[in-house]
Amino acid sequence: MENGDAKWRFRGNKQLRSDSAMNVTIRSVRQEIMSRLNPQDERPVIPMAQGDPSYFSCFRTAPVAEDAIVESVRSAKFNCYSPIVGIPPARRAVAEHLSKDLPFELSPDNVYITVGCTQAIEIILTVLTNPGSNVLIPRPGYPYYESWAAFTHLEVRHYDLLPEKGWEVDLDSVEALADQNTAAIVIINPGNPCGSVFSAEHLEKIAKLASQLGIMVIADEVYDHLVFGSKPFVPMGVFASIAPVVTVGSLSKRWIVPGWRLGWLVLNDPIGILRKSGIIESIENLLNISADPVTFVQGALPQILEKTGGDFFSKIKSLLRENSDICYDMIKEIPCIDCPHKPEGSMFAMVKLNLSLLEGIESDMGFCLMLSSEESVVALPGFTVGMSGWLRIMFAMEPSSLKDGLHRIKAFCQRHGKE
Amino acid sequence: MENTSDNWKFKGNKELNSASAITVRGALNALMSNLNASDERAAIPLGHGDPSAFPCFRTTTVADDAICDSVRSAKFNSYSPTVGILPARRAVADYLSQDLPYKLSPDDVYLTLGCTQAIEVILTVLSSPGANILLPRPGFPYYEARAAFCNLEVRHFDLLPEKGWEVDFDSVEALADKNTVAMVIINPGNPCGSVYSYEHLEKVAKMAKKLGIIVIADEVYDHLAFGSKPFVPMGVFGSSVPVVTLGSISKRWIVPGWRLGWLVTNDPNGILRKSGIVDCIIAFLNVSADPVTFIQGALPQILEKTKEDFFSKIKTILRQAADICYEKIKEIPCIECPQKPEGSMFVMVKLDTSLLDGIDNDMDFCLSLASEESVIVLPGICVGLRNWLRITFAIEPASLEDGLRRIKSFYERHSKKK
Repeated sequence: MENGDAKWRFRGNKQLRSDSAMNVTIRSVRQEIMSRLNPQDERPVIPMAQGDPSYFSCFRTAPVAEDAIVESVRSAKFNCYSPIVGIPPARRAVAEHLSKDLPFELSPDNVYITVGCTQAIEIILTVLTNPGSNVLIPRPGYPYYESWAAFTHLEVRHYDLLPEKGWEVDLDSVEALADQNTAAIVIINPGNPCGSVFSAEHLEKIAKLASQLGIMVIADEVYDHLVFGSKPFVPMGVFASIAPVVTVGSLSKRWIVPGWRLGWLVLNDPIGILRKSGIIESIENLLNISADPVTFVQGALPQILEKTGGDFFSKIKSLLRENSDICYDMIKEIPCIDCPHKPEGSMFAMVKLNLSLLEGIESDMGFCLMLSSEESVVALPGFTVGMSGWLRIMFAMEPSSLKDGLHRIKAFCQRHGKE
Repeated sequence: MENTSDNWKFKGNKELNSASAITVRGALNALMSNLNASDERAAIPLGHGDPSAFPCFRTTTVADDAICDSVRSAKFNSYSPTVGILPARRAVADYLSQDLPYKLSPDDVYLTLGCTQAIEVILTVLSSPGANILLPRPGFPYYEARAAFCNLEVRHFDLLPEKGWEVDFDSVEALADKNTVAMVIINPGNPCGSVYSYEHLEKVAKMAKKLGIIVIADEVYDHLAFGSKPFVPMGVFGSSVPVVTLGSISKRWIVPGWRLGWLVTNDPNGILRKSGIVDCIIAFLNVSADPVTFIQGALPQILEKTKEDFFSKIKTILRQAADICYEKIKEIPCIECPQKPEGSMFVMVKLDTSLLDGIDNDMDFCLSLASEESVIVLPGICVGLRNWLRITFAIEPASLEDGLRRIKSFYERHSKKK
């Protein structure tokens, strides 16, 4: 008896097929924009959408890091399975590395090594998921939080960041949103997509509010130390005695190696609140059934964290500073685009479009699609990060490429300007 | 205002904390914590499937070189596309097509964080309210652990020890209903060490087609067949029933820590595409962690340039170890091996507790063995068969002999006095 197609019984996970919250990701929108590139345009494509400057030689990672990987592989000591929490030398190295900037000492047991910061986010959100629970996330923000929360059935509520106040957290909106079922507030500092850096005073206010509300702070510090303005980077863990802090981070941004997939989830829990809450058990139960980071990259971690010289970091920061200046200055010359707050950290700037000055362009997505096809510049429409009518500009690239890209954007705006 | 002690609102995920997932790793950790610290002898690990610590099992320098070249090129430090980088997908398609009657496209290949993540993906993709999948017993407990987390019901069909651990088709048919979506086969077999014949795989394909379900072929031990039967990939039958192959470089190249695997759709008739399964795979990969880009970058070199003598060397050691294991077990009265292993790194042996004093079951046996003889063996309960044991033979042959000798002493010390 032949089996016709109608008789096959499998249909696939309905949620995966239809859930738009899961499916509108930066990756998918970027791909759509890139599909509009004109193959006949001989100019190089200027990639201003994805936070990944590793393509540019001026952003090449430190030789120490490459050496550490090579040594780790050749040692043949790290070809084995890793413990689910990470190998002890890696956990210890991260604990020591982060403790340098904290008023207390992290234990290696507080550190879980993850497959990039992506997996660290996956873990903490899944661990906090219970029927009816919710977490507070920033708008604009990083859409992976929404995507994964949708998948794990965790409700998210958006609090505002205030562009007129350097993109600081609107603490009133946080308080209004929180209720008995709120488990955590996520902050991203240095900020993606805003390029903001929060002061110690502001972080302390957030900690105090979290304490008042009885919630933990999830501090997304994947851009840690990438600050080049007036404000220094202050880790949220500094305030962990006020409210418990779960820090998520990785090597990806500071070392410009997003493809190495080495991140961490760290419990800043000096007064033992997290320990009593059942969170640790959940984290470890989840890690037990999840994929692990590559063992030899973990093996290289102590050398990478301890031996990378200050000159590599300074070089990256000066490049970012230079680019942030170029970006801010050149945007001032483009009438239909406004940058309310000069970026001081991370690799991004949020800029507002004045669509009323443009002919035939109705939205941020429309702007980006046309820009891609006419000027071979790929930028990210703000709706993907929660703010329609804005753009997120990634400026970490060869300075000359950035200038080229901004010139082309200016030309585009002039060409489409209303008479 | 400070929050004093107990007013914190967050708590852990109740579902995660209530189901204690049995994984091989978890069971082995429990056994290892029973080791006697004052025993000066080295512990003999006959419990896990990871021979990478042993020099005789060291991976080929071709693989190490490929990784180092890839890192030093600085071309693979970036994010990878969600399905994997094209050269790696192409390399896997070419590598697997060598043993298939049709050619796989790179689009049929999805790169994953080891075979572990490939399992995660396919189980998540097949989960829907009321759906169930059929798993072998004995099997690999990660399937159960992960299915529980996705709320996918599992039903177990039997493997028949007296028939070389082949699939009991009657039990498959009795279990399947209109909500069954797939059946999993593990070939070469973990934990049984079996290798299925072409004829048997053909029957599996016919059964799956009759039931209207997918065959998930876990071929993580592909090509590690050292007995009389050759390895035949299930994908050979992809034109009669859709086959999803799960695999990795972990076992054949002895690099489980490199976390480089694949999920491959063997589906020349496009059934998986039409049913939306492919879209689901891509949607889930879109929100999941990716394998390391520079390891993907090294994959073409690894798959194309590894010399045949590396593979023969590994198979020879495994064959030799399987022989030692089978012969030594014959000398231990309380343990019986119904089927000499022909593939993978494991053998299932039956435990006769009636010959032992003070040992009630397989878990007891393993706990006491760990503490008295510093030998780690996996209790069969962990893989679905109580009062059996899963023994790994993929270790340095001299250590294997030592371990089996210690198991024999353990038997002698505990044997019921006449």
